Amino acid sequence: MKGAFESASAGKVTAGLGRVRVRLPLVREMGGNRKIWAALAILGPILLLVLAAPFLSLPPPLETDVRSSLEPPSLKHPFGTDKLGRDVLSRTLAGFKVSLVVAFSVALISLAFGITFGTLAGFLGRRVDQIIMAVTDLFLAFPSLLLAIGLVAIVGAGTVPVILAIALADVPRFIRLQRSLAFSLRSRAFIDAARTVQASKWWIMRRHVIPNTIAPLLVAASIAAANAILIEASLSFLGLGITPPAPSLGNIIRDGQIYLQEAWWISGLPGLVILLVAISLHFLSDGIREALDPKARK
Amino acid sequence: MAAYTLRKFAQMIVTLFGVVTLVFFAIRLIPGDAAAAMAGDNLSGEAMEAFRAKHGLNDPMLVQFVRYLGKLLQLDLGTTITTSLPVAGLLLKALPVTLTIAVCTVVLTMLIAIPLGTLAAYMANKGKKTLDNLLTWSAMVVDLMPSFWTALLLMLLFSLTLGIFPASGQVSFGDPALLMKRLAMPIIVLSLTQVATLARITRTSVLEVLNEDYVRTARSLGMPELAVVFRHALRNALLPIVTVVGLSFGNLLNGTVIVEFIFSIPGIGTLLVNGINSRDYELVQNLILFYAMVFIVINFLTDLVYKKFDPRVRL
Repeated sequence: MKGAFESASAGKVTAGLGRVRVRLPLVREMGGNRKIWAALAILGPILLLVLAAPFLSLPPPLETDVRSSLEPPSLKHPFGTDKLGRDVLSRTLAGFKVSLVVAFSVALISLAFGITFGTLAGFLGRRVDQIIMAVTDLFLAFPSLLLAIGLVAIVGAGTVPVILAIALADVPRFIRLQRSLAFSLRSRAFIDAARTVQASKWWIMRRHVIPNTIAPLLVAASIAAANAILIEASLSFLGLGITPPAPSLGNIIRDGQIYLQEAWWISGLPGLVILLVAISLHFLSDGIREALDPKARK
Repeated sequence: MAAYTLRKFAQMIVTLFGVVTLVFFAIRLIPGDAAAAMAGDNLSGEAMEAFRAKHGLNDPMLVQFVRYLGKLLQLDLGTTITTSLPVAGLLLKALPVTLTIAVCTVVLTMLIAIPLGTLAAYMANKGKKTLDNLLTWSAMVVDLMPSFWTALLLMLLFSLTLGIFPASGQVSFGDPALLMKRLAMPIIVLSLTQVATLARITRTSVLEVLNEDYVRTARSLGMPELAVVFRHALRNALLPIVTVVGLSFGNLLNGTVIVEFIFSIPGIGTLLVNGINSRDYELVQNLILFYAMVFIVINFLTDLVYKKFDPRVRL
């Protein structure tokens, strides 16, 4: 029975989003939000650059050129070069692509598990709730980065382990959030109405509970994406994430640490990119929240 | 209070047990040979057998688990796989360093963030938005800066350019002045990230209290505004602040791993990272367990403090 519900829940997300036309004011609200536009104004060009990187006249991220070692930023190398003469901008863009994959996967995994188990716990309550909460409490007993480090220690470094490691810390938080959202919906009139017409629990969860929790979950997902970028960078910086020579924002910054004094750009500029992206993701989440909640607007 | 403490304590023990169980079974339940994963490098058949026998990996899982629990209760954390040193000894040697960094960070953070946040609330309440806006914005930016990047920037400024604090060198408890100078950089970096969050929370919670009746009463009695804010509002706003200090301890533990690594300080974080790089699972497992335990105990204490100051809290 649980398996059937899980597969149903995968379709539910799209079901919720597919019914957006019912809530058209929401889309209009989001379109009129300055923070969302500000976020897109930063994220858009960066995304374009990442996607267009192979077509730009940048040297490939792994191409070394000892003659142009540790060159400061110039028109030819906008972010300068590192010790081996590799173009830092090209490496940053390649590294950022990895960050994006990680952030997106973590957000998706967290949403999928959070929606499934959070709805079950919050809406069904009792035994199901107790079991699910006991398990999430267990994982919440570890500081997030340390949980990730522990998993990487077992599974080994690499993109997939990093995604799993970060999601492992995020999933319990999403379950808790969804649980409280589902719980507060339980006593609402339209749910009671559905109950009185003998609608099944599964149908109510799919049709009423989940679509009404999508919005706050999206807010949480964009923050989770920003955090995932930061944690992936931290792991790679510690040498526990994406392993060189494959570039990632964390290991580029780590490589630059030795040359901090003579070549600040190797560590400095990729870090600035992380900061900009993290800020814009927070703007995005703020913007979505304001669009959804009239009280949050100034 | 006693019943509450007891109940929370029981909950803590259950969580601790769960965490120990999780850490123990994590490596043993993943597909593949646990012994191979634990030994790290590819040992030959015979060496692997010896390794299994030495670590009791041939016994039934439950027997291994009970033995592990028994050892834990005697505070025996086993020995490292690579160097055969007792893990508990390594931990005890590294602990004072990490503890010093953590405690100094918490103190420094509170000393800066609480007055700053209160001041921002005071200004916001009077309609002067400049400081308030500045604080909100800088708090957000600092909060989102990757901590290792912040550390490198400050290292470039304080150690490499100005030469005020060293970024490397011995850490010894013999000379307190020298020790603080050596630990200054990690403490500053960690505080910076924590100040942002705490100042923001302080501001919000003081602002909330400023609308209460008793604050109005204090004002109507002719008390100077600053005294009202600091003596009445701040005192009643302290509760959420204490909670946040407790809750952000997890972030602090995360942060110590990173700053210890960057400034090559021989604390628990460095021990952990080195353990992973040398694939010493015995060491890593026990260190992660230690971090989780500290985190759980701190959360327990935070709950107690909260209950002590706010009798309305129910189970």
